[in-house]
Amino acid sequence: MALSPTLRLDRVSFAYGMVPALADVSFALGPGERTALLGRNGAGKSTVVKLVTGLLRPATGAVWVGDWNTRAHRPEALARRVGSVFQHADQQLFARTLQDEVRFGPRALGLAPAEIDRRVARALAVLELESHAGEHPYDLPPAFRKLATLACALALEPTLLVLDEPTSGLDRALRARVARALLERAATGVALLVITHDLAFAAETLERGLVLDRGRLAQSGPLADLLASRERLEPLGLAPPPVAVLSAALDLPGRPVREADAVRALARAARVAGGGRSI
Amino acid sequence: MTRVALEHVSFWYPATSAPALEDVSLEVVGGELVALVGRVGAGASTLLLVAGDLAPRVVGGRLEGTVRFEGSDRAGKDGGRRIVLPSPWTQLSGMAFTVWDEVAFGPANLGWPRGEIARHVEHALALLEITGLNSRDPATLSGGELQRVILAGILAMNPAVLLCDEPTAELDPAGAQAVWRLLSALAREGKAVLVATSDLDALPDVADRVVWLERGRVAATGTAALLAGDAACAAGLGTTVAGVWRAAELAAPFPATVAAAVRRWR
Repeated sequence: MALSPTLRLDRVSFAYGMVPALADVSFALGPGERTALLGRNGAGKSTVVKLVTGLLRPATGAVWVGDWNTRAHRPEALARRVGSVFQHADQQLFARTLQDEVRFGPRALGLAPAEIDRRVARALAVLELESHAGEHPYDLPPAFRKLATLACALALEPTLLVLDEPTSGLDRALRARVARALLERAATGVALLVITHDLAFAAETLERGLVLDRGRLAQSGPLADLLASRERLEPLGLAPPPVAVLSAALDLPGRPVREADAVRALARAARVAGGGRSI
Repeated sequence: MTRVALEHVSFWYPATSAPALEDVSLEVVGGELVALVGRVGAGASTLLLVAGDLAPRVVGGRLEGTVRFEGSDRAGKDGGRRIVLPSPWTQLSGMAFTVWDEVAFGPANLGWPRGEIARHVEHALALLEITGLNSRDPATLSGGELQRVILAGILAMNPAVLLCDEPTAELDPAGAQAVWRLLSALAREGKAVLVATSDLDALPDVADRVVWLERGRVAATGTAALLAGDAACAAGLGTTVAGVWRAAELAAPFPATVAAAVRRWR
């Protein structure tokens, strides 16, 4: 028997009162699959997060987290399988120290103290937050509060991580920490659904791209192909990230979209071009 | 002449002993767009709060040095120093049930006549391309829509000095480009625009000057070419193109933009 997908949306529609948000959206994520959910502002991306975490129920269609239909489970029960980070960190922090904040989720799951300690330590370590463990979340700069919410989601050790703009307000070094943490979890089979406007981060970290346009699923496919194609992105309010633009402009072989690949391709092309050229 | 100037400013948040800003001097005048860049915690947000007269007046703490400000009478009795905070939902008035009323909240508090409020609100909604949202409840907007609404509310007050903290963080790429074009155009109109941003790749096309902050101090000031320098790249503050060029071990100076890279490549 084939493994059931970690997440499946089956013809999901949703509206906020009279304002339609999603129409007939279907997709599935397998274990370990690293997926970007893209689209212009107001396309319905955050609504997907609320549906997957059980904060909203679809008007029609169904959301399946493994073999659980979200209609049949409360959000706190779904948290056993879904770890989520909202767009604005301050909406989900309330404890007195960062450590207590990260402990809250695993404690609410009723885990044994030793297991709680292990998960909290692991989540803080992968994001290099150990030295801040005793600090009050609101004494931390906003960027660190953002990392704190991600640590909370990681400590649930879910099968699915749903993250809404996990890198906004982060500098390059902190974005790299987030990327490292996500790649590490995905390698253990955790599926990722990441909403982001940071297409450079997406290119470095994720492998598949879904694009919503006015509530409908407009694109689904390999992320690198999508990010390399200005023609596919622009009608959707998106633009290729700088590495993709550079690759295209210099006609680098393979048109890389990841920075490390572009560096290799550029170095090789410069060697081939040879000494006479002052590059 | 519109300007905001910090002269040898140091600032301490309440109950802290290390300064968040240390001996910072910086002047932004009408007609220019200045970008503040730095790693997280370098002091860019604090500098905006000081320049905007929110620190220490509202957030508390202690300031040494001098902050000078000359605004415009047309921007309101206080001269029109306005700030766009980083997380748009923290800046919602909470007093408005439509986007139109939210954008009108600031101008109404300036005591302007009704007709003038309406004129400024309509203009700001058009500038941010959100006229279609005007009857929506702000609470139902997406993050990016909300960011445009907050910016529109500030622009509707016709500020002389515009201070923005990560104004494109919530925006889709097309929206971010539009906001950069708008901020640049506002500077050309004579406003003084100071923007803290991590969108380094956008700056070569829009910033007249870049100020690099490091641990509360000004580490360097210059044109956006600063972002293609070896030091900036090493600190994680280079543009993407400069970083790729440097990592590929091609000769300095590194190009800051794709256009500059293409010129070098030919």
